[in-house]
Amino acid sequence: MTTASELATELQRIFGDAVDCVARSPRRLYVGVPPERLLEVFEQLRAWHPGFRLATSTVLDLREEIGVFHHFAINGESLVVTLKVMARKPDPSVPSLAPRIPAANWIEREMHDLTGVRFVGHPDPRRLVKAAAFPDVHPLRRDFDPVAFKEEIGEHLDY
Amino acid sequence: MSTSTTEPRAAGADDRSVVQIGPFHPLLEEPVGFELTVEGERVVAVDARMDYIHKGIERLAQQRTYDMIPILLERICGICSVTHSVCFCNAVEDLLGVEPPPRARYIRTIIGELERVHSHLLWVGLAGHFIGYNTVFMWAWKYREPVCDVFEMLTGHRQNSAIPLVGGVRRDLRVEYLPEARRVLDELDGQVRMLTEAVLDDPVLAARLRGVGVLTPQQVVDYGVVGPTARASGVATDVRRDDPYAAYGELDWQVITAPEGDVFAKAVVRLLELAESIKILRQAFDRLPGGDLSLGIRHVPAGEGIGRYEAPRGEDVHYVRSNGTNMPERLKVRAPSFTNIASFQASCIGASIADVTITLAACDPCYSCTERTIVVRDAAGGEARAVGDLIARSQRETRRIAAELGRPADLVLPAGGAR
Repeated sequence: MTTASELATELQRIFGDAVDCVARSPRRLYVGVPPERLLEVFEQLRAWHPGFRLATSTVLDLREEIGVFHHFAINGESLVVTLKVMARKPDPSVPSLAPRIPAANWIEREMHDLTGVRFVGHPDPRRLVKAAAFPDVHPLRRDFDPVAFKEEIGEHLDY
Repeated sequence: MSTSTTEPRAAGADDRSVVQIGPFHPLLEEPVGFELTVEGERVVAVDARMDYIHKGIERLAQQRTYDMIPILLERICGICSVTHSVCFCNAVEDLLGVEPPPRARYIRTIIGELERVHSHLLWVGLAGHFIGYNTVFMWAWKYREPVCDVFEMLTGHRQNSAIPLVGGVRRDLRVEYLPEARRVLDELDGQVRMLTEAVLDDPVLAARLRGVGVLTPQQVVDYGVVGPTARASGVATDVRRDDPYAAYGELDWQVITAPEGDVFAKAVVRLLELAESIKILRQAFDRLPGGDLSLGIRHVPAGEGIGRYEAPRGEDVHYVRSNGTNMPERLKVRAPSFTNIASFQASCIGASIADVTITLAACDPCYSCTERTIVVRDAAGGEARAVGDLIARSQRETRRIAAELGRPADLVLPAGGAR
């Protein structure tokens, strides 16, 4: 079994101060990563254990920047590793994991729909959860106002 | 003079058509659209449209208190209602670093396993229908009904119990119905055993489903496939064992796997899991401890937590971030079908149209798609075909194989028959 602190030590040995590891429990590791090193850290994770799969990713609006948190798990183990990258507004973008791991394809499209963060290098950046008729706004941004949106669009979108 | 607006026929793609599946079907709870590109009978590309009913639940959760959210999350899915509310509680309890009292953990286990039993039976029935085994459909759904009744007896509702609460459970089970619940389980045990044996012994089913819709273990990891769909490819992943929550760590049960990765293996895994769930339920009934129902959580400090839960369809993941107020700053919900459905990209390519229905159904998606199908057009400009009958094709294929084997195209009643 892999514990969060073992992996944190290993990542710090390789990447030094570039990564910010916080092991909140033996089964939960959170790693802050600068966007330009995300792919490198991801490859290191997979080199360390080939069983790492992308469980899902969270996107959230943190006012000055957009946070993209990739949650990785290993089948058969309790550890969940979260790689956190921050994308600065006004044109938030982070490197895409989708060319390297198919599981990232849909979730990155969803995150783009909800907050407008761009995934650079995504092979298929179409909408996923936002209907074609939905205007080009991002409903999970803090400045999104549902009441004003409804007044502008009306109750029903035309599909 | 022709007024046709069809595009010129593309060279080399004479036979290429686009088949639309979905988005609506009266049997199913959610709309999803699939677009199959086929060459003759072979599928060469699959695309999915998931944008029909985005409910905005994550944003709604950011406007609800921690006490209200489990009830909101029960509405994510009509089948796995307990799944999302307990998963959210697991996430907040991870943030707090607490574990609910024993009685609450056992109650969560009981309602979670009852849900798995009725969900798996639902799938077995639908899968039977898709390949023309309507006896299986009738049996499985008949057996499912008393399980939903037990759910209602114990919790007050057939689906949405409103029992999970951060730090425990909101109400006790109605323990006066436990003897009746045990009686139903005893009956179900025999029925499931018979159904499993009948399915395993049936040569037509094996011929029809072996080698169909195969996922390799590497594809399981690449696409992040979870639950019975992954376990049927020999990947032993089960949150109940890997990252134990509720009372699973204290009970005796097995993670069921099968190596083949095809639709038959997925059916076998689910059928055998039914027996494991019954085993878990019996132990939980026997050992249901007394004591508090809840820790009485009054405040959630700033922080973040990740909850995992083994839903009937696989690992459910919730991420919660708190800023110290009484509502979360962010709740991310990832249901297992999100990753399982995406694996169609791997399992459907190269399949024949007759196999697509059952392959799509094999990961037990929140379906919505599979029967009402229309071909919109022939992409290459050829003759427009109406395929209102993907299921009919699938059932025809079963009958063809049955005739070849000289067998009836439905499950044969074992000695004693169905009750």
